[in-house]
Amino acid sequence: MNSVPVLQVSELKVHFKIANGLFSPPTIIRAVDGISFDVSEGQTLGLVGESGCGKSTTARAILKLVQPTAGSVHIEGVQIDTLKESEMRPLRQRVQMIFQDPYASLNPRMTVGNIISEPLSVHDICHGDDQRLEVMRLMDMVGLNPRYMNRYPHEFSGGQRQRIGIARALAVQPKLIVCDEAVSALDVSIQAQVINLLMDLQQQLGLSYVFIAHDLAVVRHIAHRVGVMYLGRIVELADSDDLYQSPTHPYTQALLSAVPVPDPTVSQQRIKLVGEVPSPDSVYPGCPFVDRCPVAEDQCNHTVPTLTPGAHQVSCLVQSIDLPADSVEVSG
Amino acid sequence: MNKPLLQVENLGVCFHTDNGTVNAVNGVSFQLEAGETLGIVGESGSGKSVTNLAIMGLIPSPPGEITSGEVRFRGEDLLTMDSQHIREIRGNKIAMIFQDPMTALNPFLTVEEQLTEVTQLHLGHSRREARAHAIDMLEKVGIPAASRRIDEYPHQFSGGMRQRVMIAMALSCKPDILIADEPTTALDVTIQAQILELMSELQHQEGTAIIFITHDLGVVANTCHRVMVMYAGKPVEKATTREIFASPHHPYSLGLLNSALRWDESHGGMLRAIPGQPPDLTQLGDGCAFAPRCEYCVDACETAVPPLISVDKNQTREHACIQDLPSIRQTEVDV
Repeated sequence: MNSVPVLQVSELKVHFKIANGLFSPPTIIRAVDGISFDVSEGQTLGLVGESGCGKSTTARAILKLVQPTAGSVHIEGVQIDTLKESEMRPLRQRVQMIFQDPYASLNPRMTVGNIISEPLSVHDICHGDDQRLEVMRLMDMVGLNPRYMNRYPHEFSGGQRQRIGIARALAVQPKLIVCDEAVSALDVSIQAQVINLLMDLQQQLGLSYVFIAHDLAVVRHIAHRVGVMYLGRIVELADSDDLYQSPTHPYTQALLSAVPVPDPTVSQQRIKLVGEVPSPDSVYPGCPFVDRCPVAEDQCNHTVPTLTPGAHQVSCLVQSIDLPADSVEVSG
Repeated sequence: MNKPLLQVENLGVCFHTDNGTVNAVNGVSFQLEAGETLGIVGESGSGKSVTNLAIMGLIPSPPGEITSGEVRFRGEDLLTMDSQHIREIRGNKIAMIFQDPMTALNPFLTVEEQLTEVTQLHLGHSRREARAHAIDMLEKVGIPAASRRIDEYPHQFSGGMRQRVMIAMALSCKPDILIADEPTTALDVTIQAQILELMSELQHQEGTAIIFITHDLGVVANTCHRVMVMYAGKPVEKATTREIFASPHHPYSLGLLNSALRWDESHGGMLRAIPGQPPDLTQLGDGCAFAPRCEYCVDACETAVPPLISVDKNQTREHACIQDLPSIRQTEVDV
């Protein structure tokens, strides 16, 4: 067992400056505001949260598609945020991404064979007949008929296109794949097929995933650990079953209670959240969730909560005072 | 004489395209009573949305064509009605909410202009009355500072707020029927919960009948009284929500239920996905459209399209499958 995690994110911050004209100071959007997590080999970390919570920006920072404002990202022990683009290129073989929209992420003018073989050429992995055989092997692996390698993306359905995206990501034999809403645009029956494929590939190839989704049921199924994000921060991070069975942060509890269970015999207790996610352009002197929190206390207005250490990490001032005993596990 | 509020009988819609004729909807029948919510479930291309566009008289022709059927609203056939008359019903008695509020609202008009148009037209409100009514509606759907925000443009609203504006607009004339086409699919779960609650509250107050088009079985389980499952333009099963979740009679319904993930249970292992792809609607064969993906398929499934048959005396449950799925599954369990 390799002791170095495949991915280490520590105190990552990504802030964007929005210019307000010549004489006014720029607005700072704190898209990601100090998050830390590890992903070890063969593991899946799920990141969930509402739109604008910073999930996708985190994904982009992991691939060095945006430059972090502070903090660091290590891939297999190598710090990538300080690397030059030329030094980064070999590392791009180690980490790949699958995108949400299988219609927009494939070049409509390239055949499927060319889409999948492009990374093989770019990274100088194989050429000529070897390359052709490799493309056929990859297509077979993701459940596409290799006979279709001369077809164009528009000739495939959404689920098949997502398989093309997966084959392209696998071409360079990565260790880590970042899936940003990879199954959200698919119909349920097709979504189940793609989830099965991703889990199957993980077992075969020992892949690690960072799986970003707003669908909490999908994340529970695929992820080993889950982080709940709110306004650029992780408010709760725990093993999947632990998080879903005993959610501790009031935001996690509210988020889960809002997801309808596909079973008419279950009556759900909704925890109502008032309002919507506030804008990430303001600085909060206290907990950023305070305005919507059903259990907020006075201290939440001026003290910033931090994640508790241990296996089940929670960032809440109120709950950390009297956590239910069975939901806290301290790792050795 | 007790006529149903809405009765759809053998509706057929096709689209003539360069690649052949697409039979988008092929023999859909259902009825809807006041105060009830009917869920229409199915994958992309199953004909859910086209069915409802046909009810609203919104099928573009050409390329679309309504090939058969009747849509009776309080006994009157909407399909043969003249356009003058149908305009009095559309937006007034039958209203619709769309999936994407940004494309359904006009970006050049303020919320006031869009909300007051419908009441000035249908209810004969003066400008002042219409504005007061619109503010009232916005408050009802939970938009804070409604009297100020009514003068803003759609882009100044968030996704959830825009969807509330759409709902306010749809409900302005107190419609008898509200057709909601994936109204919460583009929204975050916390906002979805707010919108669903709002819709059921308004249903309780006004007795509105709702047709809820969705692919989210969680939403169906929480909001709908009855469900119609569609596949390749046809209904394949109709039942009450409880019945269909407890014991689906069509293998496609079963496949959908198996594919639906629950957050409140630990699954582990592989999902029972439906293999294959939805069919090409220009090339439907002679048999059951689901047969190529069906694990219960027998030879007879490939030669004739199974009709909808009812399984109980009250005729509330229907399914289009020649197999007796519940008893096959029972034997599977026994073995």
